[in-house]
Amino acid sequence: MHLHKYEKWWLIFGVGTLIAFLLILAYGAFYLGTHPQSHGVTIDPENIGAEETFKPENLGLTKLDEGKYVLNVVASAFNYDLGTDEEGKPVKHIQIPKGSTVLIQAVTPDVIHGFNIAGTNANMMVEPGFISSMEVTLNKPGEYTLLCNEYCGSGHHMMFATVEVTE
Amino acid sequence: MKKKTLPKSSSQEPNLKGTIISVSIIGLIIVASWFGVFGLFLSR
Repeated sequence: MHLHKYEKWWLIFGVGTLIAFLLILAYGAFYLGTHPQSHGVTIDPENIGAEETFKPENLGLTKLDEGKYVLNVVASAFNYDLGTDEEGKPVKHIQIPKGSTVLIQAVTPDVIHGFNIAGTNANMMVEPGFISSMEVTLNKPGEYTLLCNEYCGSGHHMMFATVEVTE
Repeated sequence: MKKKTLPKSSSQEPNLKGTIISVSIIGLIIVASWFGVFGLFLSR
């Protein structure tokens, strides 16, 4: 088969790109252990409170150590349950010192929700029956919006809270 | 023995210079946007 010189160049570039991306994908998956945020850790969506992590008193931000935090969230239509403050009011604003690593663990009892701290890499789906988790490091101070980015129903736009990264 | 020559019309290659330039521009835009998004991921 006869191929024009330029067609050969283009085919080499195309196949080379394919190989390069497959190698990047394999490096991420097998060496770095990258996986979807809800990768098979299951929970009974009708009995979320049975899991220690998602008991009402364990929801919200918990400090584990200096610069280490855990954020447990129950996302439901149409609210993010981040626990309650000392007065018993639902928490809608959380503060995290900059440079801290936060392990986010989220579940839902009803439909698929999103968990996105806009402007950061914290972005995942929350599916009924699975525990979605990811660890992020928040380095840039500022106020961010935690919002649902999976359309979940008529009150979808009311699902938000604020995350403040402090100096 | 005399070598048989093919008629000129079938041996001539089409001019694909414009094609390679235009697909390369698109290719470079795609590669540049990939690195842009990757940079955004790393910086956040």
